[in-house]
This record gives sequence, C-alpha cells and structure tokens, in this order.
Amino acid sequence: MNHPVSHASNGPPNGDLRARVIAAVRAEPVSPRLIGLRRRVLWGVLASGFWAVVSVAIGLPGLRGRPLAYVVSLGVAWLLVGAAATWAGVARGGSMLGRAAVWRITTAALTPLALLCTSLLLGAAWPETLTDNAAIGRHVLCVVGTVGFALGPLGVFVAMWRGSDPLAPRLTGAAIAAAAGAWGALAIELHCQFTSPFHVVVGHVLPVSLLALAGMYIGRRFLAIRS
Amino acid sequence: MTPRTTADIAMERYAAGDDAAFGLVYDALAPRLYGYLLRQTRDRTRAEDLLQQTLLHIHRGRDRFIQGAEVTPWAFAIARRLLVDSLRRMGREVLTATGETDGPSELPAADDLVHARELAARVELVLARLPHSQRVAFELIKHEGLSVAEAAAVLGTTVAAVKLRAHRAYEALRGALGDVTGLEGGKP
Repeated sequence: MNHPVSHASNGPPNGDLRARVIAAVRAEPVSPRLIGLRRRVLWGVLASGFWAVVSVAIGLPGLRGRPLAYVVSLGVAWLLVGAAATWAGVARGGSMLGRAAVWRITTAALTPLALLCTSLLLGAAWPETLTDNAAIGRHVLCVVGTVGFALGPLGVFVAMWRGSDPLAPRLTGAAIAAAAGAWGALAIELHCQFTSPFHVVVGHVLPVSLLALAGMYIGRRFLAIRS
Repeated sequence: MTPRTTADIAMERYAAGDDAAFGLVYDALAPRLYGYLLRQTRDRTRAEDLLQQTLLHIHRGRDRFIQGAEVTPWAFAIARRLLVDSLRRMGREVLTATGETDGPSELPAADDLVHARELAARVELVLARLPHSQRVAFELIKHEGLSVAEAAAVLGTTVAAVKLRAHRAYEALRGALGDVTGLEGGKP
C-alpha cells in the first residue's frame, strides 16, 4: 500500500528501512576493490589470451608482401589509436560517473576516422600500397576478422561497466565498442596483405563504425542501471 | 580539489574492505536521497523502495569504486535514473517539487498557511512550465543542496550549462513571484 505524503510530514527514512537495506547488502556480497581489481586484470589477461589464440589460429602476423616500415608504422599508429580510444572512452577518469558525454561521443566518432586518416597518410608515404586486387570475399573476411578480434576487448570493457552507467549508457556503449573495434582493426591489420584505401575502409574501418553503432544497443541493454 | 565528505570517506573505507562502513555510507547519504526521492514521488513507499535500490547499486559498485571519487553526485545520478525509469514504467510525468520537507518548528497562523500554500502552488506552476533541464538543475541545487559541479556531474553536463539552466529557472521564478517574495535583486 502506498502512503501519499503531505509537505510537512516528510521525515528522514525510518530505522526499519536502514535494517532492510543492510540486510539486503549482506545477502548480496560484493568483493572489496582490491579483489575486484585483480578480477579485472584476470579478465584482461584472458581477453589478451583469446586475442593471441585467434591470431595464431589464422596465421601469425607478418608482412605478406608489404613494406616492413609501412607495417610497423601503421601498427604503431593504430596501437596508439586503440590506446587513446580506450583511455578516453573506457576509463572512468576519476569519477564513478565516467568522463563527460563529449568524451564518449568524440571517441565513438573519431576512432574510425583516426584509423582511416593514419592509413591514408601512411599510404601516401608508401604509394605502392595504394593498389591491390582484393576481391569482395577478402573485404568480408576482414570485416568478420575485425569484429571477431574486437569481441575479447569488448567483453572486458562491458564487464567493467556492466549495469553501472546512470547517465548515458548508449554513448558509453558506443565509445567502448569503438575502442574495442580499434583493437580488432589493429589485430586484423597485422594479418592482412591488402592495403588499398578501399579495402582498408570497407574491411578494417567500416566494422569499427558498425561496432560503435551496435555499441549503442549493447550500452542500453548491458550498461544501464536498472531497478 | 573538492574536500572529502563523510560519504566519500565512508565509501572509501567500504571499498577498501571495511564491511561495517556501509552503515556509515547509509547514514551519510540516505537522508538527502530520501528527501529528494520523496519530493519527486510524494509517496513514502516508492521513495523508500527507490532509496533501497539506489543504495544497493552503490553497494554493487564497491569492487570498482575509484579511489578519490565523489560519492554524492554518483548517488544522486543513480537515484535520478531509477526514479526516471520508475516514472516511465508508471507512464507518469515527473511530479514537480513544491518545496519544504522539514516540518515547521511551530504552527503558523492560518493566514500565513494559506499564503504559503498559494505561494507553493505558484512555485509549482512556474516550475512545471519550465523546460525539464532547467527545472531539474534548479531543484538539484536549491532543494537538494548540491553544488553546481555536483549537479553537473549528476546531469552529465558541464558546470556552465547547469549555471545557465539554474539561472534561467531562477529568473522565471523571480519574474513570476517577485511581487510576493521580494526576490527582485536577489541572487540564485
């Protein structure tokens, strides 16, 4: 039964409620921070292991006919993009509410753009990489590979934020999915012999954008605070 | 740097492993959260239910609580999210707050009471006409006693935006109530 309240009768919550809340808390134990941190590190190790196992399963990273300096430069550039996206879009930045929404929007929007721009710039520096004979099957393979490699980091990031975003879970979902996509793009880039701008856009960058869009649903479904 | 509140210190102890500190977290947060939820719902049972859920979510955040993080904006943001979800489920609009929660220290005269009720009704009317963003910013600062920075964190926006929203709400109230409250020339 509900008890409507008049203006002058609003007292503090009663002691019975305090006892009920404490009892509910005891019935649902949560580890202290240090144990939680260890658990998250373990998730990170497992995700890295998943990343490594899949990487080996599809063949070790290699040049595959590409210039060594190009592969190293692009690898480093995309590593930095992934690290920056993870820092800006996944880390909470000293607040339990996470960084301001603008950080998350920027991460979701700029991550694919940064991957594309760095690829084009390095392609201009090594003109022989601007053409290839990638068929549609290879584009699709790279799309699937990028998404597949992104699943590990995405799982870890979702676990870090699960059920804990009271402000903008869709934006958070988009940002963490874009960051995970950047790691997926890096992984597939180390394996892929095709370097033309069209293939990079379709096979490596487009899936990151698609992941960011899917992240909005993931955020609403898994990251939002629910009663 | 923002000074540490009782809630911050208690949550820090709780996150570090002191199970008994949750009682201190409750004591530091529950009265303010309950006042906020009661003002918004005007229903003790629902306010208590939402308060319990809010504190459970804070408890669930124990293992990922960031050292040095502020607890109050976090707690209000959770409470607000649960409140909005609850109202959506019920298919109702957010009730606008009319103000006082503390009981009067002595019984007012009858005409004072009538005047206060009329004033409260006018405040409610003005607040109800405000854009939602302005009304919420005003309520968090004036009713719940949050700082502008805390209100900005709760709403997920910037300090400047909250200042502007609260100022506009105050200007609207001043325009509508200035003749009876002497708000002219006052500050928000």
